[in-house]
Amino acid sequence: MAELLQHLLNGLVLGGTYALLGIGLTLIFGLMNVVNFAHGEFYTLGAYVSFAALALAGIDFFAALLVAIVAGAALGWLCEITLLRPLRNESIDTTMLVMIGVWIAMQNAELLGWGGVAKSIPHPFPTAPLVFGPVAIAPVRLFALVLAAGLIAASWLTIQKTKLGRAMRATFQDRDTAALMGVGIGRIHAATFAFGSGLAAAAGALLGPIFLVYPSMGDLASLKAFSVVILGGLGNLPGATLGGLLLGIAEELGAGYISSGYRDAVGFVIIILVLLFRPSGLFARQERIA
Amino acid sequence: MGNRSIVLLALVLVALAALAVPGESQSPIKIGVIEPLSGPVAASGNYVRMGAEIARDWLNAKGGIGGRKVDLLIEDNKSDPKEAASAAEKLIVRDKVPAIMGAWGSSMTLAAMPKLEEYGVPMVVETSSAASITKRGNQWIFRISPPSEMEALGLEQYVDKLGVKRVDFLAVNTDWGRGSITAFGDMLKKKGAAVGVAEYMEQSATDMNAQLTKIKATGGDTLFLTTAVEQITLVMKQAQEQRLTRKVVTTGGSSSPTQLIKQAGAAAEGSYHIVFFMPWFPEAMPDGKLAKAFVDEWAKRGHPFEGLTEGFRGHDGIATIAEAIRVAGKDDPKAVREALWNVSLMGVNGPIKFEKDGPAGKESGQSKPSIFVVQIRDGKVALPDFLAKK
Amino acid sequence: MTRAGGFFLAVGALTLPLWLQSPYHVHVAIMAGIFGVLAMSLNLLLGYTGQLSLGHAAFFGIGAYTSALLTLKLDWSFWPALAAAVALAGAAGLFIGRLALKLRGAYFVLVTISFAGVVSLVSINWIELTNGPLGLPGVPAPELGPWSLRTKTAYYYLVLAAVALSYVVCRRLVRSRIGRALVALRENEPLAESVGVDVTHYLVLATVVSAAMAGLGGSLYAHYTRFVSPEVFLFTYTVTMVIMVVAGGKGTLAGPLVGAVLFTVLPEALRAAASWQWQMLAYGLLLVLLVFFLPRGIVPRLAAAFPGRR
Repeated sequence: MAELLQHLLNGLVLGGTYALLGIGLTLIFGLMNVVNFAHGEFYTLGAYVSFAALALAGIDFFAALLVAIVAGAALGWLCEITLLRPLRNESIDTTMLVMIGVWIAMQNAELLGWGGVAKSIPHPFPTAPLVFGPVAIAPVRLFALVLAAGLIAASWLTIQKTKLGRAMRATFQDRDTAALMGVGIGRIHAATFAFGSGLAAAAGALLGPIFLVYPSMGDLASLKAFSVVILGGLGNLPGATLGGLLLGIAEELGAGYISSGYRDAVGFVIIILVLLFRPSGLFARQERIA
Repeated sequence: MGNRSIVLLALVLVALAALAVPGESQSPIKIGVIEPLSGPVAASGNYVRMGAEIARDWLNAKGGIGGRKVDLLIEDNKSDPKEAASAAEKLIVRDKVPAIMGAWGSSMTLAAMPKLEEYGVPMVVETSSAASITKRGNQWIFRISPPSEMEALGLEQYVDKLGVKRVDFLAVNTDWGRGSITAFGDMLKKKGAAVGVAEYMEQSATDMNAQLTKIKATGGDTLFLTTAVEQITLVMKQAQEQRLTRKVVTTGGSSSPTQLIKQAGAAAEGSYHIVFFMPWFPEAMPDGKLAKAFVDEWAKRGHPFEGLTEGFRGHDGIATIAEAIRVAGKDDPKAVREALWNVSLMGVNGPIKFEKDGPAGKESGQSKPSIFVVQIRDGKVALPDFLAKK
Repeated sequence: MTRAGGFFLAVGALTLPLWLQSPYHVHVAIMAGIFGVLAMSLNLLLGYTGQLSLGHAAFFGIGAYTSALLTLKLDWSFWPALAAAVALAGAAGLFIGRLALKLRGAYFVLVTISFAGVVSLVSINWIELTNGPLGLPGVPAPELGPWSLRTKTAYYYLVLAAVALSYVVCRRLVRSRIGRALVALRENEPLAESVGVDVTHYLVLATVVSAAMAGLGGSLYAHYTRFVSPEVFLFTYTVTMVIMVVAGGKGTLAGPLVGAVLFTVLPEALRAAASWQWQMLAYGLLLVLLVFFLPRGIVPRLAAAFPGRR
């Protein structure tokens, strides 16, 4: 029983990180319809910026987190206005291809700049794990989980309650009408991409101290993020959150009780099964995406 | 035609032109190097490259080989077997190298091997551990790194002193990890230890909590860990979080204990590591002076200390090839191959001399490298407690 | 493309080994041909039905492993093994097609990704069958009667034949009623359905042919490189195919071939032109530039520049 509880707790923490990756991408992929293969690279960028701020500039841990988010958002904004805006009327495959190019370029630039050796981000939390009865969790992971939950909640509130959020939803539901109503379409697109990229960078800065930082860390992150987004329904923030948690727990239980070699396969099989029975994802309403 | 298309056409033409330029063949002696310089194991590949460059510079400082400068032609195999084969083809056909060192990972080496036979060019294998590499009857392969079986034999003498009774395995899900589990499992069973579970982790996995939870439940006393240093760091940290208390032995030589101390901290305390080079005690190596000189030169170039446990492979590989070219008297591939059977030199790891391995009549060369065990104690790398207690 | 142009291209392709300077160049040509087959297969789905398969490496890998295992373990000769590879890959395509009956767009993509992920993990973990990460070395070279097709030149012609065959199959398919139905599916599915086009049936058909063709590419790859390992399922292979199709011009017949040649030659040219630190970075930047200047791909841009006969 203790083993099961530990697996569940592990799965929750893992799922929380997947959820954080998913919500950024669900905005970009779900709302803007951009197949952003470089999403994982913003995640990596967040981790490296946090490392640079902490280890090189000696800033405080929480400030470094903020710097990472700002850097991710800024680069995302730049990407959108230089690369995606001119291609806005092209097909989805064209924007996908340009983001593949950005992915390759960013990862190899990082390799060139930082070298392939993994870096570790120092954090101020004690290393001794917190023990709750039969299960244990490291303080830094608990912090990451709590902050991720906070960021997710803040994002949801922004989308639902603020003027910016309303403008975003309007733009992606019906661009022309939104434009007629005075919404600055260009600014909204850039803001959305920056928002999503900033969230990815936050995930990187949060997970960097738990894992390690190296140039190819974003590849797996991208793949999981796409799975979570589609599973939860495109553009659906609560869906992405729940999808992320479910995927994390499923993987953890699969690895624990079936086989660690086939760990990722459990996630894939579950995805296939879900889509077989709920073709629009777990939580989306009726439509399919054309 | 549109302006933009002209730009594109120009790019294509430049690309084709570059391809059409014939390779040079002048005075310097060229040695090919194929390593993973990008992708997930870029760090290791680059360390090997750095070691190779030191060997090249030392050779050239002494006048090169037979008065000719040594040139390293370095190719990136991008951690992809297909690229390893393409790189080998390019080095052999375009650049006409007489010998190659590579290709780090076993599947990359295996992919390049048919090219060696096709064109008749020898390759010195500096890192790959799969037994099959020297057992396939490829007469152009000469390996200086130990296959997992040899590594396990190297540890055999210490098994009783370590006090291993019940063992579990956690390895990266590649040929290296799996081969290690088989080799060490067989060796330990022969010594009377009981083998518990064997768990795997994907090469890019960062969360091993599920596997560790399972391992914790077996009640074993030792955990054998085979993977690269980044994953070892994560496993140790997560094991600490799960309060897993047992002996840890890492195999494969890629554990870079210095990096582990830096990044895993207290979580790495007490762990044992099988390494093939001890940069912390260079004088204890078979050729103490050479080892110390290598460590000093590495530091002088500003390379990270933690890379030494892999970088020496690049040095020894190039030194081996250079010695063979010197003995052969010319940089012709077939002559170099003949010479490789006759070389006997001192590398940073120890003596290098090839013995026959594989099917009769089509043997590959396998050297018997030295194998060492170190331990992390009090936050520093030391000789293992069972040895120091003499 | 004019008749005369096509004729010269054919002659050029047929005599390529004669005027290429070195075996290394023939090697590049062979790889370009294999990827040409793969790109054409992906184009059937992406270009003509509008559905993106991001798991296409799975069909490629299934073809490669089938062919390798049959010739290595069961001593089959190359040609029946090739046929089996095509058939098995096609069957996998049928499985995916039926699985994804109701799925479109992103959901179809995710199913293909997941399928590829599962197949990849099976190839790594089912050691008894696939030898796991150690891979299958020593895959035999094909033989045609008494001749061994081991030499590069001979293999080049084998690949060229496969490219020609694939091109012809694509062309016939696209220009037939099936092809028109696929385009209808891509352009406006509800409308197509409303006029009685059995959209799902055609989508499944396209998936099967596409997968079978990728299996052909896989078998050719296995017998050329003579080594198959789980890396054939790597996502980068799928990404490369996508790059070739979209940059070459999806939805055109020549586009994937142009893309395959360009993106096989480019990394090799970068190997010669740039030192290893800059190669991949340059590749990424060049890709971004290419998409920027030719967003619809190369072939459509050229076609627009030279209007007239299609």
